[in-house]
Amino acid sequence: MKIRNQGGVEKIEPQMAPMIDVVFLLLIFFMLTLKIVQPEGDFNINMPAVAQSQTETPKLLPDFKVRLVADGATGALLEVRYGQRSLGNGPPAFQLLQQMIRENIAGSPYADEVEVEIDADFDLNYEHVISAVSACTGQVQQGSDGQPEVVRFVEKIKFAPPRQSTRAATGG
Amino acid sequence: MRIKKTEPVLAEVDMTPMIDIVFQLIAFFMVISNFEQTQADERVRLPEDVLALPPKVKPAHELVLNVGFLRDEKHNLPEQGPVVFHAGRFCWITQQDSPASVRIFNGRANAIQTIETVDFSYRLNQEKQLFYDRGVAVAESVTVVIRADSRVPTGLIQKLIQLAQADFTGSDGSSQPGFAKFALKAEQTAESRAFKSRGS
Repeated sequence: MKIRNQGGVEKIEPQMAPMIDVVFLLLIFFMLTLKIVQPEGDFNINMPAVAQSQTETPKLLPDFKVRLVADGATGALLEVRYGQRSLGNGPPAFQLLQQMIRENIAGSPYADEVEVEIDADFDLNYEHVISAVSACTGQVQQGSDGQPEVVRFVEKIKFAPPRQSTRAATGG
Repeated sequence: MRIKKTEPVLAEVDMTPMIDIVFQLIAFFMVISNFEQTQADERVRLPEDVLALPPKVKPAHELVLNVGFLRDEKHNLPEQGPVVFHAGRFCWITQQDSPASVRIFNGRANAIQTIETVDFSYRLNQEKQLFYDRGVAVAESVTVVIRADSRVPTGLIQKLIQLAQADFTGSDGSSQPGFAKFALKAEQTAESRAFKSRGS
Protein backbone atom coordinates (compact mmCIF):
# COMPACT_ATOMS: atom_id res chain seq x y z
CA MET A 1 0.00 0.00 0.00
CA LYS A 2 1.25 3.38 -0.92
CA ILE A 3 1.58 5.85 1.86
CA ARG A 4 1.10 9.37 0.77
CA ASN A 5 3.35 12.03 1.94
CA GLN A 6 1.20 13.86 4.36
CA GLY A 7 3.52 16.64 5.33
CA GLY A 8 3.13 18.55 2.12
CA VAL A 9 5.55 21.49 2.40
CA GLU A 10 9.02 20.52 3.59
CA LYS A 11 10.82 23.18 5.56
CA ILE A 12 14.41 23.69 4.45
CA GLU A 13 16.69 24.05 7.44
CA PRO A 14 19.88 26.01 6.75
CA GLN A 15 23.02 24.44 8.10
CA MET A 16 23.74 26.33 11.28
CA ALA A 17 26.68 24.33 12.58
CA PRO A 18 29.47 25.79 10.36
CA MET A 19 28.34 29.31 10.95
CA ILE A 20 28.27 28.82 14.69
CA ASP A 21 31.77 27.32 14.52
CA VAL A 22 33.10 30.36 12.73
CA VAL A 23 31.24 32.76 14.96
CA PHE A 24 32.63 31.11 18.06
CA LEU A 25 36.12 31.29 16.61
CA LEU A 26 35.68 34.99 15.98
CA LEU A 27 34.37 35.46 19.48
CA ILE A 28 37.36 33.69 20.99
CA PHE A 29 39.75 35.69 18.82
CA PHE A 30 38.35 39.00 19.95
CA MET A 31 38.24 37.88 23.56
CA LEU A 32 41.89 36.87 23.50
CA THR A 33 43.12 39.96 21.70
CA LEU A 34 41.31 42.18 24.17
CA LYS A 35 43.84 44.12 26.16
CA ILE A 36 42.52 46.31 28.88
CA VAL A 37 44.61 49.45 28.66
CA GLN A 38 44.24 52.43 30.88
CA PRO A 39 43.66 55.46 28.72
CA GLU A 40 46.75 57.57 28.36
CA GLY A 41 47.19 61.29 28.12
CA ASP A 42 50.19 63.37 27.38
CA PHE A 43 51.97 66.59 28.22
CA ASN A 44 53.46 68.43 25.30
CA ILE A 45 56.85 70.01 25.62
CA ASN A 46 58.49 71.99 22.90
CA MET A 47 62.24 71.68 22.85
CA PRO A 48 63.95 72.80 19.67
CA ALA A 49 67.68 72.23 19.51
CA VAL A 50 69.87 74.72 21.35
CA ALA A 51 71.11 76.52 18.25
CA GLN A 52 67.63 77.70 17.37
CA SER A 53 66.63 78.90 20.80
CA GLN A 54 69.58 81.30 20.97
CA THR A 55 68.21 83.38 18.14
CA GLU A 56 64.89 83.91 19.89
CA THR A 57 63.73 87.37 20.72
CA PRO A 58 64.29 88.41 24.32
CA LYS A 59 61.44 87.37 26.54
CA LEU A 60 59.03 89.72 28.22
CA LEU A 61 58.89 87.64 31.35
CA PRO A 62 61.70 85.59 32.81
CA ASP A 63 61.29 81.84 32.92
CA PHE A 64 59.83 80.30 36.02
CA LYS A 65 62.41 77.95 37.40
CA VAL A 66 61.42 74.77 39.16
CA ARG A 67 64.21 72.81 40.77
CA LEU A 68 63.69 69.21 41.86
CA VAL A 69 66.28 67.81 44.24
CA ALA A 70 66.57 64.04 44.46
CA ASP A 71 68.09 61.53 46.79
CA GLY A 72 70.97 60.16 44.76
CA ALA A 73 70.61 56.56 45.87
CA THR A 74 66.88 55.93 45.53
CA GLY A 75 65.73 58.70 43.23
CA ALA A 76 63.18 59.84 45.80
CA LEU A 77 62.19 63.46 45.84
CA LEU A 78 63.88 65.51 48.57
CA GLU A 79 62.88 69.04 47.78
CA VAL A 80 60.94 71.14 45.33
CA ARG A 81 62.26 74.64 44.83
CA TYR A 82 60.44 77.36 42.97
CA GLY A 83 62.79 80.22 42.20
CA GLN A 84 64.62 80.66 45.47
CA ARG A 85 61.88 79.31 47.67
CA SER A 86 61.80 75.80 49.04
CA LEU A 87 58.41 74.13 48.93
CA GLY A 88 59.21 70.90 50.75
CA ASN A 89 58.51 67.55 49.16
CA GLY A 90 55.67 65.16 48.48
CA PRO A 91 52.23 65.97 47.08
CA PRO A 92 51.76 69.13 49.23
CA ALA A 93 54.82 70.67 47.58
CA PHE A 94 53.31 70.20 44.14
CA GLN A 95 50.03 71.71 45.32
CA LEU A 96 51.95 74.70 46.64
CA LEU A 97 53.82 74.96 43.34
CA GLN A 98 50.52 74.87 41.46
CA GLN A 99 49.15 77.64 43.66
CA MET A 100 52.23 79.85 43.22
CA ILE A 101 52.29 79.43 39.45
CA ARG A 102 48.64 80.30 39.39
CA GLU A 103 49.22 83.47 41.42
CA ASN A 104 52.17 84.48 39.27
CA ILE A 105 50.35 84.28 35.98
CA ALA A 106 46.99 85.55 37.22
CA GLY A 107 46.04 88.73 35.38
CA SER A 108 49.31 88.85 33.51
CA PRO A 109 48.84 89.82 29.86
CA TYR A 110 51.90 87.78 28.98
CA ALA A 111 50.65 84.56 30.52
CA ASP A 112 50.88 82.83 27.16
CA GLU A 113 54.54 83.75 26.84
CA VAL A 114 55.65 82.33 30.15
CA GLU A 115 57.90 79.31 30.10
CA VAL A 116 58.63 76.99 32.96
CA GLU A 117 62.06 75.47 33.13
CA ILE A 118 62.29 72.25 35.06
CA ASP A 119 65.71 71.53 36.47
CA ALA A 120 65.78 68.04 37.95
CA ASP A 121 68.56 65.96 39.41
CA PHE A 122 69.76 63.15 37.20
CA ASP A 123 68.60 60.34 39.46
CA LEU A 124 65.16 61.71 40.21
CA ASN A 125 62.38 59.26 39.51
CA TYR A 126 60.52 60.27 36.39
CA GLU A 127 57.10 60.27 38.09
CA HIS A 128 58.02 63.40 40.05
CA VAL A 129 58.83 65.20 36.82
CA ILE A 130 55.38 64.33 35.54
CA SER A 131 53.89 65.69 38.78
CA ALA A 132 55.86 68.92 38.39
CA VAL A 133 54.88 69.30 34.75
CA SER A 134 51.28 68.65 35.71
CA ALA A 135 51.39 71.23 38.50
CA CYS A 136 52.72 73.83 36.06
CA THR A 137 50.32 73.12 33.22
CA GLY A 138 47.04 73.37 35.01
CA GLN A 139 44.65 72.65 37.77
CA VAL A 140 41.37 70.86 38.25
CA GLN A 141 38.61 72.90 39.77
CA GLN A 142 34.86 73.09 39.99
CA GLY A 143 33.43 74.66 36.88
CA SER A 144 30.44 76.98 36.72
CA ASP A 145 28.13 74.06 36.07
CA GLY A 146 29.44 72.12 39.04
CA GLN A 147 31.42 69.74 36.90
CA PRO A 148 35.14 69.47 37.47
CA GLU A 149 37.14 71.03 34.68
CA VAL A 150 40.73 71.83 33.84
CA VAL A 151 42.15 75.33 33.92
CA ARG A 152 45.38 75.76 32.02
CA PHE A 153 48.28 77.82 33.40
CA VAL A 154 51.46 77.45 31.41
CA GLU A 155 51.67 75.65 28.11
CA LYS A 156 55.38 75.96 27.51
CA ILE A 157 57.49 73.57 29.49
CA LYS A 158 61.14 72.91 28.94
CA PHE A 159 63.94 71.09 30.66
CA ALA A 160 67.22 72.53 31.87
CA PRO A 161 70.31 70.72 30.60
CA PRO A 162 70.72 67.38 32.40
CA ARG A 163 72.82 67.26 35.54
CA GLN A 164 75.52 64.79 36.43
CA SER A 165 74.54 61.55 38.07
CA THR A 166 75.77 61.12 41.61
CA ARG A 167 75.34 57.37 41.37
CA ALA A 168 78.17 56.88 38.91
CA ALA A 169 80.55 58.77 41.16
CA THR A 170 79.79 56.56 44.16
CA GLY A 171 80.03 53.40 42.11
CA GLY A 172 76.36 52.49 42.56
CA MET B 1 -4.81 -1.14 7.62
CA ARG B 2 -3.65 1.23 10.17
CA ILE B 3 -0.19 2.71 9.85
CA LYS B 4 1.60 3.54 13.02
CA LYS B 5 3.03 7.03 12.98
CA THR B 6 6.72 7.00 13.86
CA GLU B 7 7.61 10.40 15.26
CA PRO B 8 11.32 11.14 15.29
CA VAL B 9 12.47 11.84 18.80
CA LEU B 10 15.09 14.31 17.61
CA ALA B 11 14.39 17.49 19.50
CA GLU B 12 15.29 20.57 17.48
CA VAL B 13 17.12 23.16 19.55
CA ASP B 14 16.25 26.69 18.66
CA MET B 15 19.55 28.33 17.78
CA THR B 16 18.36 31.84 17.08
CA PRO B 17 18.66 33.39 20.58
CA MET B 18 22.11 31.94 21.07
CA ILE B 19 23.33 33.30 17.78
CA ASP B 20 21.87 36.67 18.63
CA ILE B 21 23.80 36.79 21.86
CA VAL B 22 27.01 35.52 20.34
CA PHE B 23 26.85 38.18 17.65
CA GLN B 24 26.28 40.79 20.32
CA LEU B 25 29.35 39.59 22.17
CA ILE B 26 31.43 39.71 19.01
CA ALA B 27 30.29 43.23 18.29
CA PHE B 28 31.14 44.24 21.87
CA PHE B 29 34.66 42.81 21.75
CA MET B 30 35.27 44.29 18.32
CA VAL B 31 34.33 47.74 19.50
CA ILE B 32 36.20 47.51 22.76
CA SER B 33 39.49 46.18 21.43
CA ASN B 34 41.79 48.83 20.08
CA PHE B 35 44.52 48.02 17.66
CA GLU B 36 45.85 51.55 17.76
CA GLN B 37 48.32 51.38 20.57
CA THR B 38 50.55 48.92 18.83
CA GLN B 39 53.67 50.92 19.54
CA ALA B 40 53.02 50.97 23.26
CA ASP B 41 54.99 48.50 25.33
CA GLU B 42 53.16 46.91 28.23
CA ARG B 43 56.36 46.54 30.25
CA VAL B 44 56.40 50.28 30.79
CA ARG B 45 54.54 51.39 33.88
CA LEU B 46 53.60 54.93 33.21
CA PRO B 47 53.28 57.45 36.02
CA GLU B 48 49.73 58.43 36.82
CA ASP B 49 48.43 61.93 36.72
CA VAL B 50 45.07 63.66 36.97
CA LEU B 51 45.83 66.13 34.20
CA ALA B 52 46.93 63.53 31.68
CA LEU B 53 44.36 64.21 29.00
CA PRO B 54 44.36 62.58 25.60
CA PRO B 55 45.45 64.98 22.87
CA LYS B 56 42.64 66.81 21.12
CA VAL B 57 44.41 66.62 17.80
CA LYS B 58 46.36 63.52 17.05
CA PRO B 59 49.80 64.46 15.73
CA ALA B 60 50.32 63.74 12.07
CA HIS B 61 53.48 61.74 12.63
CA GLU B 62 54.75 60.29 15.84
CA LEU B 63 57.68 58.24 17.01
CA VAL B 64 57.06 56.34 20.20
CA LEU B 65 60.00 55.64 22.50
CA ASN B 66 59.31 53.19 25.31
CA VAL B 67 61.70 53.46 28.24
CA GLY B 68 61.23 50.90 30.98
CA PHE B 69 62.69 48.11 33.01
CA LEU B 70 62.98 44.40 32.39
CA ARG B 71 61.41 43.48 35.70
CA ASP B 72 61.59 39.97 37.10
CA GLU B 73 58.58 37.93 38.21
CA LYS B 74 58.38 39.72 41.54
CA HIS B 75 58.43 43.08 39.79
CA ASN B 76 61.78 44.03 41.25
CA LEU B 77 63.88 46.50 39.37
CA PRO B 78 66.79 44.91 37.52
CA GLU B 79 70.36 45.86 38.32
CA GLN B 80 71.12 46.84 34.77
CA GLY B 81 68.88 49.85 34.86
CA PRO B 82 66.35 51.08 32.38
CA VAL B 83 66.31 50.21 28.70
CA VAL B 84 64.70 51.59 25.60
CA PHE B 85 62.46 49.05 23.92
CA HIS B 86 63.22 49.71 20.30
CA ALA B 87 62.43 47.57 17.28
CA GLY B 88 62.25 44.38 19.32
CA ARG B 89 65.54 45.05 21.06
CA PHE B 90 66.59 46.36 24.44
CA CYS B 91 68.84 49.35 24.17
CA TRP B 92 70.79 50.30 27.25
CA ILE B 93 71.32 53.95 27.95
CA THR B 94 74.57 54.23 29.80
CA GLN B 95 74.89 56.80 32.52
CA GLN B 96 78.23 58.07 31.34
CA ASP B 97 78.42 61.60 30.16
CA SER B 98 78.99 60.76 26.53
CA PRO B 99 75.44 61.24 25.33
CA ALA B 100 75.68 58.80 22.46
CA SER B 101 76.84 55.60 24.09
CA VAL B 102 74.17 52.97 24.22
CA ARG B 103 74.81 49.28 24.26
CA ILE B 104 72.37 47.01 22.52
CA PHE B 105 71.80 43.51 23.75
CA ASN B 106 70.31 40.67 21.81
CA GLY B 107 68.17 37.81 22.95
CA ARG B 108 66.17 37.21 26.05
CA ALA B 109 66.11 39.48 29.02
CA ASN B 110 67.48 36.93 31.45
CA ALA B 111 70.34 35.89 29.23
CA ILE B 112 71.90 39.19 28.44
CA GLN B 113 75.17 39.21 26.62
CA THR B 114 76.87 42.11 25.05
CA ILE B 115 76.80 41.39 21.37
CA GLU B 116 77.23 44.75 19.82
CA THR B 117 77.64 48.31 20.85
CA VAL B 118 75.63 50.75 18.85
CA ASP B 119 74.87 54.35 19.57
CA PHE B 120 71.22 54.90 20.20
CA SER B 121 71.77 58.19 18.42
CA TYR B 122 72.57 56.10 15.35
CA ARG B 123 69.20 54.40 15.59
CA LEU B 124 67.43 57.69 16.22
CA ASN B 125 69.17 59.18 13.21
CA GLN B 126 67.89 56.29 11.15
CA GLU B 127 64.38 57.13 12.31
CA LYS B 128 64.94 60.77 11.40
CA GLN B 129 66.21 59.80 7.97
CA LEU B 130 63.20 57.55 7.43
CA PHE B 131 60.86 60.45 8.14
CA TYR B 132 62.95 62.76 5.96
CA ASP B 133 62.96 60.34 3.04
CA ARG B 134 59.19 60.15 3.19
CA GLY B 135 59.07 63.91 2.79
CA VAL B 136 58.06 64.66 6.37
CA ALA B 137 59.45 67.79 8.01
CA VAL B 138 61.19 66.23 11.00
CA ALA B 139 61.42 69.27 13.25
CA GLU B 140 57.98 70.67 12.53
CA SER B 141 55.58 67.80 12.19
CA VAL B 142 56.94 64.78 14.03
CA THR B 143 56.12 64.34 17.69
CA VAL B 144 58.35 62.11 19.77
CA VAL B 145 56.11 60.38 22.28
CA ILE B 146 58.07 59.36 25.33
CA ARG B 147 56.49 56.57 27.32
CA ALA B 148 58.77 56.27 30.31
CA ASP B 149 58.44 54.16 33.41
CA SER B 150 57.78 56.07 36.61
CA ARG B 151 61.07 54.87 38.11
CA VAL B 152 63.38 55.84 35.26
CA PRO B 153 65.98 58.46 36.26
CA THR B 154 65.04 61.81 34.79
CA GLY B 155 68.52 62.46 33.45
CA LEU B 156 68.21 59.54 31.06
CA ILE B 157 65.01 60.95 29.62
CA GLN B 158 66.76 64.28 29.18
CA LYS B 159 69.64 62.57 27.41
CA LEU B 160 67.18 60.76 25.19
CA ILE B 161 65.63 64.12 24.34
CA GLN B 162 69.06 65.51 23.54
CA LEU B 163 69.79 62.61 21.22
CA ALA B 164 66.47 63.16 19.50
CA GLN B 165 67.14 66.87 19.10
CA ALA B 166 70.49 66.39 17.42
CA ASP B 167 70.93 67.37 13.80
CA PHE B 168 71.15 64.63 11.25
CA THR B 169 72.30 64.23 7.67
CA GLY B 170 69.56 63.55 5.18
CA SER B 171 69.92 61.13 2.29
CA ASP B 172 70.72 64.07 0.02
CA GLY B 173 73.67 65.02 2.21
CA SER B 174 72.14 68.13 3.72
CA SER B 175 72.17 68.76 7.45
CA GLN B 176 68.70 68.87 8.97
CA PRO B 177 67.48 69.76 12.45
CA GLY B 178 66.27 66.87 14.59
CA PHE B 179 63.02 66.38 16.46
CA ALA B 180 61.66 69.39 18.32
CA LYS B 181 58.26 68.32 19.60
CA PHE B 182 57.97 65.95 22.47
CA ALA B 183 55.09 64.53 24.42
CA LEU B 184 55.41 62.87 27.81
CA LYS B 185 52.86 60.14 28.35
CA ALA B 186 51.13 59.54 31.64
CA GLU B 187 48.30 57.28 32.61
CA GLN B 188 44.96 58.80 33.40
CA THR B 189 43.55 58.40 36.85
CA ALA B 190 39.97 57.34 37.35
CA GLU B 191 38.86 60.85 38.15
CA SER B 192 40.53 62.50 35.18
CA ARG B 193 38.17 60.90 32.72
CA ALA B 194 35.32 63.12 33.81
CA PHE B 195 37.06 66.38 33.04
CA LYS B 196 36.62 68.64 30.17
CA SER B 197 39.29 71.10 29.28
CA ARG B 198 38.72 74.81 29.33
CA GLY B 199 40.69 77.32 27.36
CA SER B 200 43.55 76.56 25.07
